[in-house]
Amino acid sequence: MTDKLKRNVYLVGNPNSGKTSLFNAITGERRRVGNWPGVTVQKLEGSATTDTASLTICDLPGTYSLTPATPEEEVVLKTIDEAASGCIVNVVDIANFERNLFLTTQLVELGIKPVVSLNCFDSFTRAGGTIDLQKFATFTGTTPFPTVARTGEGTQNLVEYIGKPDVAGLEDYSSWLSLPQVWLNAAEEGLKLKKLHWNSATPTQRYSALVDLIRLQPGHIVPELIEIRQNLAKKLSEGREKPVKTTDLACELASDRYRRIERLIAACAVVPGKNIPAWQEKLDRVLTHRFLGLPVFALMMAWVFWTTFSIGEIPMGWMESLVDWLGKFVEANMQESLIRELIVGGIISGVGGVIVFIPNILILFFWIAILEDSGYMSRAAFIMDRMMNSIGLHGRAFIPMIMGLGCNVPAVLATRIIDNRFQRLLTMLLIPLVTCAARLPVLVLLCGTFFHDNPSTWMFTLFFVNLLVLIFLGQTTSIIFRTTENSPFLLEMPPYRLPTPSSVFHMLYEKAAHFVEKAGTVILAGSIIIWVLSVFPREVPLSFDYESELTRLRSSEITVETTEKIATLTRQREIEEMEGRYMARLGKFIHPVMEPLGFSWRETVSLIPGFLAKESVVSTLTVLYLPYSDDLGDAMRKTGMTPLTAFVFMMFTLLYIPCIATLGVIWRESGSARFTALSLMVYFAIAYIVSYITLKIGTLLQASPGIAWFEGLIIITAALAAGWYLLKTFIVTISGSKCNSCASCSSCPARGKSDCTGG
Amino acid sequence: MVRTTVTLSELPEGSTATIRDIDALSPTSQRLLDLGFVPGTPIRAVKRAPMGDPTTFEIRGYQVGLRRSESVLIDVEIKPDDR
Repeated sequence: MTDKLKRNVYLVGNPNSGKTSLFNAITGERRRVGNWPGVTVQKLEGSATTDTASLTICDLPGTYSLTPATPEEEVVLKTIDEAASGCIVNVVDIANFERNLFLTTQLVELGIKPVVSLNCFDSFTRAGGTIDLQKFATFTGTTPFPTVARTGEGTQNLVEYIGKPDVAGLEDYSSWLSLPQVWLNAAEEGLKLKKLHWNSATPTQRYSALVDLIRLQPGHIVPELIEIRQNLAKKLSEGREKPVKTTDLACELASDRYRRIERLIAACAVVPGKNIPAWQEKLDRVLTHRFLGLPVFALMMAWVFWTTFSIGEIPMGWMESLVDWLGKFVEANMQESLIRELIVGGIISGVGGVIVFIPNILILFFWIAILEDSGYMSRAAFIMDRMMNSIGLHGRAFIPMIMGLGCNVPAVLATRIIDNRFQRLLTMLLIPLVTCAARLPVLVLLCGTFFHDNPSTWMFTLFFVNLLVLIFLGQTTSIIFRTTENSPFLLEMPPYRLPTPSSVFHMLYEKAAHFVEKAGTVILAGSIIIWVLSVFPREVPLSFDYESELTRLRSSEITVETTEKIATLTRQREIEEMEGRYMARLGKFIHPVMEPLGFSWRETVSLIPGFLAKESVVSTLTVLYLPYSDDLGDAMRKTGMTPLTAFVFMMFTLLYIPCIATLGVIWRESGSARFTALSLMVYFAIAYIVSYITLKIGTLLQASPGIAWFEGLIIITAALAAGWYLLKTFIVTISGSKCNSCASCSSCPARGKSDCTGG
Repeated sequence: MVRTTVTLSELPEGSTATIRDIDALSPTSQRLLDLGFVPGTPIRAVKRAPMGDPTTFEIRGYQVGLRRSESVLIDVEIKPDDR
């Protein structure tokens, strides 16, 4: 059977319509994930075969309408010509019939003949809904298939149908959903300006002709078009008491579409009066209750957090011992060589650095899949939105942010629950500023050493400044970029459903595989690079012939004195070798940059392995400070480190750059190297500036004794607030004080002016 | 018959109204129209979030949460007999 028909099938539909479930049901595991050309939006492709055809199924991003509000949705519009030449399957959630048919209407208007998958058919019939499929097919000119994608029911019929050779892609036919003649005539006139005709135009050309009618595009305003619009408005006004203005045309078209939809549904279906069952309303009343909602959510979050990081520790321990065992095994069974060292120190520990995350990721995504599938995620976002909105984020960003406290890596992966790309990137940008557990050792060590009277107060201060920085960055970024973003905040509340094992499995499989395959490679490569830096050059010129001296001492009589001497010499050699490696050289090379912050070169050097994992900062410091004293704190004090420098160093360690694993996932999840590089620079700049300001304020405070830490804190808060206010005013001023009723209207300096529509 | 026109953001929790108009100049209005927020459509304010924003609305048989910044764009008409 080599002469099978090859066909590209495109799935379009509303978010939450079950598009991805249908995709899973049709393709099973035969899929691959890529990116859409030009944009960094994920492209999901899979294949399916029937007796007659081999199908390539492409899952287009979910959209409510062809008019795009986000880059994801733009993909649908850009692909529509290509899709029209293949086969379009329009997934319609029949339990939410009217709104889902809007997209169908738009497709039909453009002359596309979609195969309609009437999804969630089971809950529709259970609620008492009926539909005459024959009538639906005749009235719309489409081919409907009742499906239940979650269980796979009905999908076989659909696949067999789209595998048939005679499924028409693009042809004009009259349907109840087609454009009324008045609009068609106006669109035809509009197309004439571009020397085109409706009948021969592509769907995209037809679409843009319609858009030209309803909204004047700044940039290409043609006088003829204005006339066409005025005539259209005049024609639409006939027989009405209130004349239609040209600015109302968008509203008119949408109303007209919904009138056609209502007429169609009335003619061929009985839609249950109440879509939402009573028990769901009751459940909703508890879960989003004014007083109960937040505690219930907090409990759930605590549970998810605890299982992810505490239960996750158990399999993580297994993974670690497996890696350990593997390293020891290689060490015992291989000749001592550079290759062995590379395998043990670079590859095995690098792979270990990747797989230790897998238990965390699996557990976290298990809960996320359940929360998402059950419909609770939208309620959680609903509850948290106000708070998250105050730092410019979507309510859904709460879960990734809170997970960041455990580890930034699964947190970045968790941002996939945010469907808006801008919001997702913003959350990704902010997550590394959430103090993960790996940064705690540095804080514990230094706070304990330098502030042993009240280490927790100082730790709190650090966290507080960290939080302020996070809010500052979130606010600034969202204000700068919000003006270009015109997607409204919409939070669909899907009905509660029982999660299916198959969708949970797909989510887990996809996440784990995706993580290992995509981010894993980056993390592994990074680990090897850091390893190379820390062991090369092999031969370091030593200031002193340690080897012969050690041999001499070892062969001599064993006394307390010689043992001590041997230990000192070995230690000194270790340090000299370490200082000679590329890592230390690099540290010393960039040290002048860090010097204004009051760090010694040892601190600078320790920051480099901190890039591999933040825990390494402490272990590197311990090695570097060994010659001065066995006790790290003691050694630091001896070399002239003051509590202030220690505080600044902690500040810097908290903020400077995320570890390589986090960076790896950010790169892969954002799909953009530019974004990753840019955010890296942002973190570094912020860390530097904040540390510098802290140092200066600290020096000032030290000069004037009597001012306690909390006054210092107030000063820092005030400085940040003032900076933020100035920046905001500045941005509002340069953007022509055009207020788009942005996220933070209540605190906006432009508030009260006539152009502020919100607040 | 007494009719009151308010913005959707002012619609009290639990009450029903009819959409009268939508701010055509806002860039977000197109999406709201596409979602079925067209004049003449009945709409119910279901629930305000614990922190006062956003609010869930029921329209055309589904529920959607809107922030104040979106719901102020929509004018609704409350009729006493709607209750």
